[in-house]
Amino acid sequence: MNSHVKIPQSTSADLSRRSFLVGTAATGLVLGYAAVPGIDHALAAAPAHFEPTVWYSIAPDGLVTVTCGKADMGQHIASTMAQIVAEELGANWRDMRVQLASNDPKFNDPVLGAQITGGSWSTMMNFDAMSRAGAAGRIALTEAAAGAMGVPASELVVRDSVISHPKSKKSMSFADVVKGGKATKTFTADDLKAITLKTPDQYTKIGVSVPQIDIPYKTNGTAKYGIDVMLPGMVYGALVTPPVRYGATVKSVDDSAAKKVPGFIKAVTLDDKTTTTTGWVVAVANTYANARKAAEALKIDYDGGPNAKLSSESLLTEAKRLQGLSDSGQFFVKDGDPDATYGSAAKVMEAEYTTNINIHCPMEPMNATAEFKGDILHIYSGNQFATRSGAIAAGAAGIDPKYVVMHQMWLGGGFGRRLDADMMVPAVQAAKAVGKPVKVIYSRENDMTMDFSRPLTYQKIKAGMDGDGKLIALSHDVVSAWPTARWGIPDFLSPSVDKKGPLDAFTVNGADFFYTVPNHYVRAIKNEMAHNATPSGQLRSVAPGWTFWAVESMIDEIAHATGKDPALFRVELLDGKGKNDGGAQRLRNTLLAAMGLAGYGTKKLPKGEGMGVACVSSQERATASWTACVAHVAVAPSGEVTVKKLTVATDVGTQVNPDGIRAQVEGAALWGMSLALFEKATLKDGGIEQTNFDSYTPLRMSQLPEVAVNVIANGEKATGVGEPAVTVVAPAIGNAVFNAVGARVRSLPISAEAVKGAMKA
Amino acid sequence: MPNLNINGRNMSVEAANDTPLLWVIREQLQMTGTKFGCGAGLCGACTVHLNGEAVRSCQTSLADAVGKKITTIEGLSAKGDHPLQKAWIAEQVPQCGYCQSGQIMQAAALLSKNTNPTKEEVVAHMDGNLCRCMTYSRIQKAIMRAASDMRTASATGSERRAT
Repeated sequence: MNSHVKIPQSTSADLSRRSFLVGTAATGLVLGYAAVPGIDHALAAAPAHFEPTVWYSIAPDGLVTVTCGKADMGQHIASTMAQIVAEELGANWRDMRVQLASNDPKFNDPVLGAQITGGSWSTMMNFDAMSRAGAAGRIALTEAAAGAMGVPASELVVRDSVISHPKSKKSMSFADVVKGGKATKTFTADDLKAITLKTPDQYTKIGVSVPQIDIPYKTNGTAKYGIDVMLPGMVYGALVTPPVRYGATVKSVDDSAAKKVPGFIKAVTLDDKTTTTTGWVVAVANTYANARKAAEALKIDYDGGPNAKLSSESLLTEAKRLQGLSDSGQFFVKDGDPDATYGSAAKVMEAEYTTNINIHCPMEPMNATAEFKGDILHIYSGNQFATRSGAIAAGAAGIDPKYVVMHQMWLGGGFGRRLDADMMVPAVQAAKAVGKPVKVIYSRENDMTMDFSRPLTYQKIKAGMDGDGKLIALSHDVVSAWPTARWGIPDFLSPSVDKKGPLDAFTVNGADFFYTVPNHYVRAIKNEMAHNATPSGQLRSVAPGWTFWAVESMIDEIAHATGKDPALFRVELLDGKGKNDGGAQRLRNTLLAAMGLAGYGTKKLPKGEGMGVACVSSQERATASWTACVAHVAVAPSGEVTVKKLTVATDVGTQVNPDGIRAQVEGAALWGMSLALFEKATLKDGGIEQTNFDSYTPLRMSQLPEVAVNVIANGEKATGVGEPAVTVVAPAIGNAVFNAVGARVRSLPISAEAVKGAMKA
Repeated sequence: MPNLNINGRNMSVEAANDTPLLWVIREQLQMTGTKFGCGAGLCGACTVHLNGEAVRSCQTSLADAVGKKITTIEGLSAKGDHPLQKAWIAEQVPQCGYCQSGQIMQAAALLSKNTNPTKEEVVAHMDGNLCRCMTYSRIQKAIMRAASDMRTASATGSERRAT
């Protein structure tokens, strides 16, 4: 399991050296981490200057604007942050507003020390900081109100943006206090830590489905995404990407036909020292339509490079070869000695599981707008990793990263795709080449064929059982491209158990499950060929999207082979012994809840129908939301699988916004189903074959099953919900297909042909 | 210079006749509520109304839009209060929200002709609109809620007229 990452900053992000500042000025009350001693004096002198450095401000009209340092890609995280602040602050929900942060390091995640949004980490890692920020504001406002009213602060009650004194019936609104200008208090890090936060029984906002602040703007066309940015004098860039995903070079560009396109300005061949892209050309014109026409008119000669002959088949063959080597890879888990156990085991089973390449394709195609203004490079784009993407933009411009300002926009879908920074490179280099702001918009074809995809994976599991059918040994090899290693940030890698150097835990997370297996090996093997040919990225749920496909299918196979009920076999394995204490019990309870809600084992299903279970500790051991699924499927004689119902239970500890959580869990579960049945990308001659939504086909409304989402909130710490449910669905469906028709499919997506083939076999 | 009738206003634009209406709306008229998703009529993010019919503006040329009444999400209602928009908020439909202008415009074309659609009719009408966040069940609920609200409003309206 990976310990949580901290990215070193060029600017200090050491929170211990910061103090938390509360002060008022004509513009309102501002609260946040102030970077330097004496900042309160500076604030008094020039209050507006400090506005961008803070978590929230309260204006004289009482409106509270929370600045969200997280990318909001539909998980409503900005609204969630506002909700946590509002709980402790005592603000009326109607007074809450949100805005998105720039890449100023002051907005870095308090735990991660960087601006990165992923891993379903945001709520759990910001809950405490936002709570304390809210509480500090309430304390400062209360003390100021006490002074103004001439009553003891301890007798005041704060509720719905009003501070009242029940004894004297006096009251002041937040707006009154801010206008009074007397709320001035500085909190050190220790002061903040010492604040007593509310206990869950005192919550009035957390646990309530308040309306998400961003939603109205997303029903009337006014929410601004990266693609909507308009700058004065801006021109447009359309990409021409090579037929090979990675490694091609441009030999020549003939722009004679493009020059005939009205409005055409220039064709810019990227010189990408960041190595994020290879062989890309941008056609720049006065409008996007003209840029696209010009792009189509360019005649480009490529050298396909070293990967031009590779295909999905060659990546899989290479993966199998690597897995077969005894010394490849590094150990992620090394408990006991499975190899020494198999000899004495009563039964030994082996199975191979694969997943094909998957494409993120958020509805908003990748885009970025770049503008050089004096010494500063301004980037406008919706991005999940401002810290790194700013550095890539700087690298593309040949400037120091400190001169890059990232203007965060609402994300038209992220799903991990916008952790990457490729879109920065064409925007920056085109802007530089034409001396104007340039907005580069990928065509859907660019977006799909140049995706930083979920990699093709190959896994092999060997398991040994004793005479009672007890699982005593399991060896799990995971072969894939290493998405996180590609980032070049050592802190994102984890040490290997066998001390063979760092490994990318984001390829094996989940394989370190909570089942008690005394002899357990997990080996992470990097498929260098796939790594180079299909630069991979983090796709919603990352490794647990494939590791649990293998583990949860194999556990089912073992249960059937040893004559046990697959669900009850899991319950047995979740005994909570040793290092699994705590998590195993929560996962067991969640599984039992899902079984109960689905009516698992209580009814006889018609011929061709079946239920299958799976349970997961996604995303990571340390950050798990305990999630279980019962899938109910019907399988036609043709092998076609129809999902009738997905029953999902998830233990999230504490729920901030129950309705928002349900939306996330349902979306995640449907992603899991879409990946399980409908989404498949393939590599041929070095290029991704699928180019648009006719050949890469995510789930549509007509394929929607019934989804029953059940959230367990048991008062433990809040955990994440954006991803875990993605990972539980594919194995639940696969297991249900087996229970329905006896067909075991071990490759994702599950195709009708594969099911039919397995039925006959 | 071609003239467009968009959201009840006449506006002159400067673009070649074969320019997709989508880019004219977004760039020249700076109405960015209509979104680019696929450029091939496969996702529905760019849906607008042409004489009340839902069309994909990425597949509609400027020339084809001239002389017709164009409605975009910005013009669907005066204050963002079309029954569908209100229902979208009540059901908390959008996640990332990027496809939702197109979803709402697609649904509005259905409800303008039929305020009592069956679930099957809704699915058949909406199946061309992709939502990568997979908010489909809430979209369905919101359409049904808006349809019901429209029926109630129309019934109340007739009663008023009757009395």
